[in-house]
Amino acid sequence: MRPSGLRAWAVTLGFIPILGLAACGSSSTSGNLAKDQTLNVPMQDDVAHLDPADIDAATDIPILQNMFVGLYKFDDKLNIQPYGAKALPDVSSDGKTYTFHLRSDMKFSNGDPVTAQDWIYSWTRAAKHNAAYEGNLSPIIGADDVANGKATSISGLSAPDANTLVAKLSAPAGYFVTMLAMPTETEVVDRKVIDKAGDTAWTNDASTYIGSGPFKMTARVPKQSMDFAPVANWWGGSTGTLTHVHIDIGIDQVSQVKKFESGGYGVVGPLNQNVDTDDVLRYQNDPVKKSLLSILPGVRVTGLGFNFTNGPFAPAKVTPGQPTTHTPDDGLIGREAISMAIDRAQLADVACVHAVTCAPATGGPIPKGVKGYLGDNTDQYAKFDATKAKQLLDQWDPGKTKRNGIKIRYNASAINDKIFGNVQAQLKANLGIDVATAPSDFPTLLAERKNKTILGLFRESWGMDYNHPQDWFDNLSICAQAGVGKGNNEGYCNPALDTLVASADAKQLDQALPQYVQANKILVDNVVWVNLIYGTNQFLTQKWVSGEGNNGFYDYEWKEISLQQH
Amino acid sequence: MRGTLVYTGQRLVLIAFTALAVSSIVFIGIHLQPGSSLLTDRPSNPVRLQQLLHQFNLDLPWPQQYWIWLTHAIRGDMGVSLSSNRGESLTPVLLREAGVSMTLGFFAILFTIFVGIGLGTLAAIRQNTWVDYVASTAAVITYSIPPFVWAFLLIIVTVTYLYTLTGGAIYEDIGWGKPEQIPVPALALGLPYAAIVARLTRASMLEVIRQDYVRTAWAKGLTGRVVVVRHALRNALIPVVTILGPLVTAIITGSVVIEFLFGIPGLGKEFVNSILSRDYNITVAVFTAYAVIVGFANLAVDLSYPLLDPRIRY
Repeated sequence: MRPSGLRAWAVTLGFIPILGLAACGSSSTSGNLAKDQTLNVPMQDDVAHLDPADIDAATDIPILQNMFVGLYKFDDKLNIQPYGAKALPDVSSDGKTYTFHLRSDMKFSNGDPVTAQDWIYSWTRAAKHNAAYEGNLSPIIGADDVANGKATSISGLSAPDANTLVAKLSAPAGYFVTMLAMPTETEVVDRKVIDKAGDTAWTNDASTYIGSGPFKMTARVPKQSMDFAPVANWWGGSTGTLTHVHIDIGIDQVSQVKKFESGGYGVVGPLNQNVDTDDVLRYQNDPVKKSLLSILPGVRVTGLGFNFTNGPFAPAKVTPGQPTTHTPDDGLIGREAISMAIDRAQLADVACVHAVTCAPATGGPIPKGVKGYLGDNTDQYAKFDATKAKQLLDQWDPGKTKRNGIKIRYNASAINDKIFGNVQAQLKANLGIDVATAPSDFPTLLAERKNKTILGLFRESWGMDYNHPQDWFDNLSICAQAGVGKGNNEGYCNPALDTLVASADAKQLDQALPQYVQANKILVDNVVWVNLIYGTNQFLTQKWVSGEGNNGFYDYEWKEISLQQH
Repeated sequence: MRGTLVYTGQRLVLIAFTALAVSSIVFIGIHLQPGSSLLTDRPSNPVRLQQLLHQFNLDLPWPQQYWIWLTHAIRGDMGVSLSSNRGESLTPVLLREAGVSMTLGFFAILFTIFVGIGLGTLAAIRQNTWVDYVASTAAVITYSIPPFVWAFLLIIVTVTYLYTLTGGAIYEDIGWGKPEQIPVPALALGLPYAAIVARLTRASMLEVIRQDYVRTAWAKGLTGRVVVVRHALRNALIPVVTILGPLVTAIITGSVVIEFLFGIPGLGKEFVNSILSRDYNITVAVFTAYAVIVGFANLAVDLSYPLLDPRIRY
């Protein structure tokens, strides 16, 4: 026996992991900019859709906004800027005809010119696809008919010439231009390419995946990675300094930060995700690393929803979709009690890294930073008052029967476990009631909420799509959405609120805002939601990355980002 | 030889039946779950929903849906994705992911076998010395710590600490696609199982090296390497090989967490994501693929017995 041989074997085996480790290349530099302008970014989930006509997930928008162009876009300060259009539209005196003057120099990345007919094709196609944001086209006469298969073209769209697009609306819609600035279905696509490659297949190959934005896709391995490069001679001008954007897909949140710390990522946080709260805390408490952490405004509210059609918190039992304005409202005092029993400051402290990653929601359902926000401390039921809450509870439930067996349904995640665990603890401490938490996965929560089958409390959350209060009401709070399977999860249906919102929707925002505020107050007064926290976006950005950020709704465009010497 | 072929044929039929049973059970199970990949937190459009249900055959009765899936699967068509880039063909994606998982699993098993058997042998031939104590203690500690904890520890050490320590010269580059990205996740996956193999090999070797034929081998003046490797280890490996079947299964299913943490685009990550997103086609395909992979792994282990012990015949 020769132990020395075995020893050598063991030593070799011991080095196996070391042999596999990567070597880090240092970048050479030119001037202040790094020579290698490759931005590496991680994202947890793959895009749900690559076709602008099919967008239905928040993960899609930050990618597609760099590849496709709409008539308008939001700048970093949320101002609406012309993009495919030359200026804001001419609006007829009755507010029903919008004339868009288009840029004549606009081209797709393959060189095909963009004309008014391309816009009509793209919008008609988007209506046909009838995906989640088809509603952005709904104001146009005939768009919903196309969506519902009753027509093949949008009768309200016309193109008097190659550079003019006219949209006739069925009713005045003061929010129309704001909605068009949202980077979704209304972005223009190249008919020639789609006709040739196929309506679904054109997105599967980088060579046929053509847009008109400053970047184009150069490679994609589904659920693994995506690569992008700037479009040469882009019609819109400079594409910035980045020469390559590489996105790793499916990287765990914690691992993202570890790789960031080894220089593998320029930034963590964009592409509709956040930094793990433990890492936020770590960076927050580290005097050196703190400068890499940015807490950016978020436009998401998270709260508790009540079932307004059935169960202890409903005004009365009604069929979903029917008015819930029953007098007396049998559930109102109970909803007030629940809301006032929760100390939002404590909740934010416990669940959001000492209120760093979120803020107490004290100004109603429309979150801070969005037009229509009521203002700090304007929600009277968000003021923590345990004594009053207990009195209200006893007033609502003198027989102590309604308070039994209440559950909170939410989709399990690290942050949600903290939020609703704390809510549960506060309801026990402040009201003396045992509320059970019932975590599930997201599809289960979605189905139960939409079907109005949850009789207790459930997690509600909404990230605003664009900076206009119409986004809240028309999607979440009107009777048309209150039926089974629709987006008004509470089933709250108040015809007076509908009238108010319809009136506000018809006006331009500056005139409509008082009515939206009034509608917002109705939601607060009726405690439709227990608004708990307003979210933020957290970014970790290397010192050598500049121009990265988020305006609350969307990431800054890649063409604004540059990599400095490091 | 003929017996081996018959045995292999029988096992292949069994694998096919297992795949059929797994796919049907999983198909029913996933369809029983509430929610759907077609639902989002956006307001639902009932017309659109109906269109999508029809497009993806989800409006058909379950037996019909399953039959369509099965007949397509037999032809190698796993259907289309219902969630991520809806409508995209799954077959190339799943094949690539299976390849990734099998690559990771292969290296993890390789590590498990070589390190486990090596350490076990070393501990046995140096019984009751410091080598044995260290190896045995390390083995107990190693298999007491689950793979995901090892993964976290390895990420912290090889990504963060090593990067800091070497000024960025050497570190683990989390992700997949480069050969140097394989060893650390394979290590995280295989380490606890290597410890099990080490313990088993040690016990088995201790029994074998006391056998008469090993004493005879020493008496013949054979070198240590020949005695240990050719005479003792070969016989000691039979019980080790016996547990390799379940071990391969454990490694394959254990890759779920490792793939998540290391950002490896394999079947394991798909396994979890598809259930959470109710992507029925992927869930059924991935479960079935796992059943087939495990079936083949067990078959390979069983077929290796005769190589170690000539008394075993099929």
